[in-house]
Amino acid sequence: MRSKNLWFKLFLLVSAVLLAAGLAGVAGAASVKIGALNDMTGATSDVGKDYALGIAEAIHYANDNGGINGKPIKLYQFDYGYRIPEALTKYKLFKRLKCVSVLGWGTGDTEALSPTVTKEKMPYVSASYSAHLTNPKKTPYNLFAATDYSSNARAALTAWFDKKWPKNPAYGKRKPRFQCAYMFASPYSSAPIKAIKDQAKLLGFDIGPDQDVSLFAIDTKSQVLAMKKFKPDVVWHGNTVMSVAATLRDAYSLGLKADHIIDNWGFDENLPRLAGKASEGAMGVGVCAFYGEKTPLMAKVLAYGKKYNPGIPAAKRSVHTIQAWANTLVLWEALKRADKAGGLSGENILKKGFETMRKFDLGLGGAPVTYTATDHRISGKVPIYEVANGKFKIVEVVDLQARWPKKWAGAWLGW
Amino acid sequence: MHKTSKLLTCLAVAAAVALLSGCAGMMTKPTQQNFKAPTVSLDSVEVAHYWGWWYFSKKVKPTVGTAGNYGAPLDLAFIFNVKNPNSYPVKMEELKFTVAFENFDLNTVSSTETQWIPAGKTNQIRVHAMFDGRQSLLSLLVTGGFKLKAKTGKAGPGAALKQLATWWKKAPEFGFPIFVKEGSAVFKADGLDKVVTFKAKFPE
Repeated sequence: MRSKNLWFKLFLLVSAVLLAAGLAGVAGAASVKIGALNDMTGATSDVGKDYALGIAEAIHYANDNGGINGKPIKLYQFDYGYRIPEALTKYKLFKRLKCVSVLGWGTGDTEALSPTVTKEKMPYVSASYSAHLTNPKKTPYNLFAATDYSSNARAALTAWFDKKWPKNPAYGKRKPRFQCAYMFASPYSSAPIKAIKDQAKLLGFDIGPDQDVSLFAIDTKSQVLAMKKFKPDVVWHGNTVMSVAATLRDAYSLGLKADHIIDNWGFDENLPRLAGKASEGAMGVGVCAFYGEKTPLMAKVLAYGKKYNPGIPAAKRSVHTIQAWANTLVLWEALKRADKAGGLSGENILKKGFETMRKFDLGLGGAPVTYTATDHRISGKVPIYEVANGKFKIVEVVDLQARWPKKWAGAWLGW
Repeated sequence: MHKTSKLLTCLAVAAAVALLSGCAGMMTKPTQQNFKAPTVSLDSVEVAHYWGWWYFSKKVKPTVGTAGNYGAPLDLAFIFNVKNPNSYPVKMEELKFTVAFENFDLNTVSSTETQWIPAGKTNQIRVHAMFDGRQSLLSLLVTGGFKLKAKTGKAGPGAALKQLATWWKKAPEFGFPIFVKEGSAVFKADGLDKVVTFKAKFPE
């Protein structure tokens, strides 16, 4: 009887050990899956690659700091080459893999997938900052951790009006003259044009004819010569870096006596390299800090860049890495909050995650993040920088919400 | 007799446990000090699939399907040797690199499938890089415009298509240098991790 009891106890012990080992295996396998669509080969690969590296590095950081309340994040990151059919196909893969959210990329994939992510309640955090995505009544599951293109454009023009126009010899004698240079056919380039012209009217500018500058342009002399007829005091550049640099170079060499204000995708560390002296004094939008700029989390960003991509020197990294960290960290925060508040369904991630954030500081130099159930613009505060001796210097943080509270609250939402 | 059988069973189990413990004890435990960096080196590049060179603009009406801007794909396979110099197995979790044709970065590819490399052994890994004619054209135009002008004296779609045709046609005999740049691979061993870099030129 004693012998039987001993064998029974031994059986129980072995069973307990095996069960514990089995459960440990299950616990280890539980992960939260996130999909990422990036452009590392296509039309926007010059900025997309750095952004993609930033996403992977930020996920490593999130996992090293507890993942989603103890559950590791598994990232499925794919290059879609800026091709919409590929983006749609990869989205279907993310669904099959049971990803709880997607870190998307450009205007094309974001707009193409917007009806689907709305219907399927899939939080989609993109690097397209179009104001069209900020009204939760229309696109509740589209989010981003940056000020939107339209607010950025309004702020850039306002900063020029505040800082540069009073120093112009014509100040007080006539209206300032304003003109836009961008690719008409590009949804991204044309997204904030209506808003910046609205802002120009509000501030009392004369507005000249738009100039169609291709994203592929490296010779923009005809457009610059056309601008010389209008004699603008300030020109808005809505393209990406290469064609913006080409326009600045041609404006410099042809003597267009205008200042330049530039959107965030045309205003990065490559601009002074490509445009040289012609970029001096140009003002632009910074939705977050530039790579290496002092912010509370920058040391970590640099350390993870050095650790996981040691073959790429810091001098080749850019603000786009920081933008990726911002989007990844805001999603991480939303997932942690939602997980604690009941689970990771799309609706819970939106309502109990994103829309509970109030002035949440990511530590990356951008505006603190607020999302509400009626407004997905993170803030009305837009940092505007200037190129000085080849470096970026902050000029002003324009607070659109404080200066035009009524327009901000109503008329400006969603476009 | 019954008791003897039980006793023998217990002894056998104890012996097996002792043997397994002994084997486990013989294997070196990974530490920060003894974790040597594995190496990744390019073994070869293959044209895995080839369609020649062609480009259709969206003005061309297709026999069936949707009109669009389509360029010939080019599928290259990069085969790497991954050597583990340690006396314990290591896990490779991620490998990524950029591919440049001459000095034009055209593709960044990665492999996130994990694989274990036994102690002291060398594994091989094959990573495919698909180059799409249309997206390579856009890459050349939007990001490589200044470089293309510096190289050929011309820019714009015509110059970019001519450059792509040259590369695609010369690919089967590797008639231009292909660079593997900014390569990095993440290795793990018992909770420790190490990231190694690599680069290569093909043909050498």
